[in-house]
Amino acid sequence: MEGSQWPYENRSGQVQSMEADVLVLGGGVAGCMAAYSAARQGKKVLLVEKGAAKRSGAGGSGCDHWESAATNPCSTVSPEELLKAMMDDNDGYNNAISHYIECREGWDALLDIERMGGKIRDTEDEFKGAAFRDDETKLMFAYDYKSRITLRIWGTTFKPAMEAACRKAGVQVVDRVMATSLLTEDGRAGARCIGATGVHTRTGEFYVFRAKAVIMAMSRPARVWLFSSGHPGLCEFRPLQCAGDGHAMGWRAGAEFNMMEKSVRAEFSAAGRSFPPYSTGNNHNTWYAASLIDATGREIPYADRDGRILKDVASRYQPVEGQDFFLKGGAITQAKYEIEGPETLPYEELQKQGYKLPFYADLSNLPELERKVIWGMMVGQEGKTQVPVYRHFTEAGFDPERHVLQCYGVGWTSAEFLPQERQLFGLPGGFMNDWDLMTNLPGLFVAGDALFASDCYGHAAATGSYAGRKAAAYAGKQAAFIEPCGDQIEQEKRRVYAPLTADPAQGASWKELNEAIAKAMQNYCGEQKRDELLLSGVELLERYEREIVPKAYAANPHELTRLLEVFDILTVAQVILQACLARRQSCGKLEFVRSDGDGAEPAPFICIRQEGGKVFRREVPLDYAGDVKANYEKHNRDYIEEKGAAV
Amino acid sequence: MNGFRFRQTPPAAPIRFDEEKCVNCGRCMEACMIDVMLPGDKHPVAAYPDECWYCGCCVMECPTGAIRLHHPLMNQTRWVEKASLLKNNKE
Repeated sequence: MEGSQWPYENRSGQVQSMEADVLVLGGGVAGCMAAYSAARQGKKVLLVEKGAAKRSGAGGSGCDHWESAATNPCSTVSPEELLKAMMDDNDGYNNAISHYIECREGWDALLDIERMGGKIRDTEDEFKGAAFRDDETKLMFAYDYKSRITLRIWGTTFKPAMEAACRKAGVQVVDRVMATSLLTEDGRAGARCIGATGVHTRTGEFYVFRAKAVIMAMSRPARVWLFSSGHPGLCEFRPLQCAGDGHAMGWRAGAEFNMMEKSVRAEFSAAGRSFPPYSTGNNHNTWYAASLIDATGREIPYADRDGRILKDVASRYQPVEGQDFFLKGGAITQAKYEIEGPETLPYEELQKQGYKLPFYADLSNLPELERKVIWGMMVGQEGKTQVPVYRHFTEAGFDPERHVLQCYGVGWTSAEFLPQERQLFGLPGGFMNDWDLMTNLPGLFVAGDALFASDCYGHAAATGSYAGRKAAAYAGKQAAFIEPCGDQIEQEKRRVYAPLTADPAQGASWKELNEAIAKAMQNYCGEQKRDELLLSGVELLERYEREIVPKAYAANPHELTRLLEVFDILTVAQVILQACLARRQSCGKLEFVRSDGDGAEPAPFICIRQEGGKVFRREVPLDYAGDVKANYEKHNRDYIEEKGAAV
Repeated sequence: MNGFRFRQTPPAAPIRFDEEKCVNCGRCMEACMIDVMLPGDKHPVAAYPDECWYCGCCVMECPTGAIRLHHPLMNQTRWVEKASLLKNNKE
């Protein structure tokens, strides 16, 4: 391959102009649902995706469970109760609006996906009679079998069905185009959003999109602290192309961000310390509630929240007496007592009792349908597990009735990372939103992982549908398209194309720059924050921006895409440093430690944005969403009436 | 000629094609969200293997079962017969 001719046509410098009522940026779960929902409102919709919408995004290859479906017919928990638990669990540092939408409309979104052709029920009666199955609706549940708010789903069927439904609904899907910037009225930061630019990842052609409303659905940043030039695709939990382009574009356009100072000690990086998710023995998420045994085959006990040892497998799926429900899954790492579920004893206790490493996940002693639903359905439908885990392990002879799968480390993440190895995970920061999921830029809506405190498939799908509806309504009120500012487009073209004509002998590659950013962030924005360190980081990244970025080199449009991603990662790293500087006190739920804190109470939400290179900060009360039920109903009268009529 | 040749040392080889089975339809390449592959004469070529996320979508799209996804050796995890652990316990 080395030195080969590029197989695609070179169209760099050529411009393709397109327009639509609603422009959706990002063709993952949130983007597809947004596009579909806007198209159903009768709007002309463009969906722009860097990869291929059929399988793109963190949920493209699959998903095994759908959280917070509080309105499904079997749920015993109301959306308000569930949202309250999610907020309390994070001391309020969570997105009440987007998660209420998830709790309230997640089930509606799932029914839409079923109508598109996704499989959400055990229609073949494979699991008939199982404790986790409702035999009337054929829905299957995970974790807490009493409250029935988390569904088991056949997620490998979802993304192709969504993409086909979008096309059928008239959405124009533009694959292999990376969105690079947001266009604003008169080219001003903070002004109304009127479109976007993009570049084709194979031909280098430049795109100008004009729209009456724009939906940002471009995932969340990654590779800010973690990088491996040998295995860049394995650096993070989410796919390589989910790099934070949306956040960077938003920041440059003057959008406001919340909670960007939050990062957690890394949990997943199969390029480094951990293993591919769900390919090792564990008893969380996909693998809940597998039995664990130690190196001598001795079973590790499960206990309830009060430390009482559970007597049987069935109790692992039940809340304790007096508890309405327990929560597990994406947003829950250290559950508070009220919602804490069964768990194997902590490692320190096991060590005292003489349990020996390594541990193994053992499905052999589970009731048959519990074993079958973990090995086969969950491992098989979860993203990245069908081929490399379920199929390959089975071909190599793994038999869950006979074999046990090794756990690595003592926790469920399969590795212990260093304090400075950080990740945007577990409800990270993102775009600030109002009740319409609109940002501070009029006309710019947000969905999925681009939102602050996002997580999981159901959240992405529900907020996608909702943003699609709201953007369609907004677009309906705009009389005409606004002509984008020529200077803004020309400036962006120069920025995007510069690496193709840089000197290969002098210019850094995307890998060299990404690795430098990650190292800088580990050094200056690790677990312990203090002003001197953060300011040194700001200085270094500004130097990269000034000296390295203008000379960076890309040999072809594919490399250019990777390099533009790293430019975006550089912007995001700068946003994170600014957000860290803006917060003066440690804050437990933001996993934010200030070693030079001023001792005052932690501030509520701190939102930041930039204008003309100057950073503006404001504090927002943690309860800014107000009474969620009342506000939701006030903002969604049409939707509630439509749903009521449908029933 | 001494028989040696230069190549870039690969840290892993995630995607392997069975040339007998591949019909070069390109579906794998078109489904890849990262665009790891480029068109090739006999089959698509994994031009950017290091960028692979190991999601397996290329395999899921393949109509003839011609692709093998291969995790790097360091990420191939271990399992054992449960009986072998119990045997150790008795000794």
